[in-house]
Amino acid sequence: MIRIKNVSMSYKGAHRPALKDINVDIDRGEFIFLVGPSGCGKSTFIRLLLRELIPTKGDIFIAGHDLVNMRRWRVPLLRRNIGCVFQDYKLLPNKTVYENVAFALEVIGRPTKVIKAQVPEVIRLVGLEEKLSNYPDELSGGEQQRVSIARAFANRPAIILADEPTGNLDPASSSGIMSLLNKINRTGTTVLVATHDREMVDSMRKRVIALEEGALMRDQQRGVYGYEE
Amino acid sequence: MQFRPFYFLKESLVSFKKNWVISMAGITTVALSLLLVGAFMLFAFAMNNIIKSTEQKVEVVLFLAEGVPAESVEALQAEIISWEEVQKATYVSKEQALGRLKQEFKESDMLEMLEGNPLPASLEVTLKNPQKANDVVDRLKGRSEIDDIRHDRETVERLFQVTRVARWFIVVFVGLLAFTSLVLIANAIRLAIYARRKEVAIMRLVGASNWFIRWPFLLEGILQGFIGGIIAALLLYLAKVMLIDKIKGALVFLPISSSPQEFYQLIFALLAAGMFIGAAGSAIALRRFLRV
Repeated sequence: MIRIKNVSMSYKGAHRPALKDINVDIDRGEFIFLVGPSGCGKSTFIRLLLRELIPTKGDIFIAGHDLVNMRRWRVPLLRRNIGCVFQDYKLLPNKTVYENVAFALEVIGRPTKVIKAQVPEVIRLVGLEEKLSNYPDELSGGEQQRVSIARAFANRPAIILADEPTGNLDPASSSGIMSLLNKINRTGTTVLVATHDREMVDSMRKRVIALEEGALMRDQQRGVYGYEE
Repeated sequence: MQFRPFYFLKESLVSFKKNWVISMAGITTVALSLLLVGAFMLFAFAMNNIIKSTEQKVEVVLFLAEGVPAESVEALQAEIISWEEVQKATYVSKEQALGRLKQEFKESDMLEMLEGNPLPASLEVTLKNPQKANDVVDRLKGRSEIDDIRHDRETVERLFQVTRVARWFIVVFVGLLAFTSLVLIANAIRLAIYARRKEVAIMRLVGASNWFIRWPFLLEGILQGFIGGIIAALLLYLAKVMLIDKIKGALVFLPISSSPQEFYQLIFALLAAGMFIGAAGSAIALRRFLRV
């Protein structure tokens, strides 16, 4: 599904590369934790997969598509197949829960009929069917993150990338979000979660990829967080 | 990616309403620059018509002094005709001159006040080559039979000169104004992009195509240019009805009429130019501020 080969990434003017010679293969339907201290390269890793950045060296393939040599107009098509979740939810404050999720489908040109069928379904999946017409600021942090996950999953992407999805949440909400991501993973979706959340990683026993100072330190099936901070 | 005009237009209008004060700046300058272009074009049409009809007339008119005997007029006429530059020389008597004037002014009652016939007799000289007019005029200067020489070529050339200078002045001035409108529209679009940066970020994230993101902003710019064009066209139409048509009524002898067809072509060109300026302005803003 995702193949990362000898990838290095240096930002202009930075004294050391953000990522150094990374090799990772991810299969369809895997659940992966990407762990490591702040500044270890987790966000760069995710931005490379979204093709917001192009690696200075190496190759990245997603579902057979070459991201390095991809034409610019194809990038949106790639992103339709990748759902994204962020620490700060990135919801539109002037749109309701329903409208936020529908917006993601509208702007990629899905027909109204499809939108009307899919949006309530995916909102039910994240457990917010009671809050369809609420605005984001009327929701708790955990609920807002559920909306964001619904939006990411609305187009049924093959991959979900989550960058610190529980970074702003209390432990109870966090475990709710993680079990939701787990549920989505069980539908066959590949899920990659970048996180600091040691307890969560340790309790879920999924594959763990650990980065430190841009280098791949560990790639372990059924792994644990594994660092003393 | 399908093009959905109504969706894009709706988005543009919403955004347009949100920061209409800034949009007004762009619209006003577009209107102003197009109004200037249009006004100059009308002026140029009129000038062209005057020049054309003047050129069709005789180049040199010799007004004869009062009381010159018929024989010396005939001798003068014969002499002029013998010159190689001259194609023909026609005698116009006082009565004929008055008759022509009455013909030109038949729609006005100005001539009622005229007593007697103040018009002189004249010789109208047509040249084979109008460029030689100055030589002929020089040769005829100081002749006792001739009271005054009117040389239309000079008028024509002066008109040409005036229009040439005016044209350059207008080109530079309109260029500056068009540039200003471009910058102002680009700025309005930049603010529109800034106001919707969150939506744009999400659109990029979920994979909206680049043109899907661009279209509403581009349309917004085109809309601003178009409104500017409409304002310029309306003002120009008012100016035509209230000023030019009135002047034409008062100065019937000046052939300044331009055809309505020319006028509508001008209006159409102004609207197109407005939309072009709008599109160019938003294109600049999109290039600089919307990396999609």
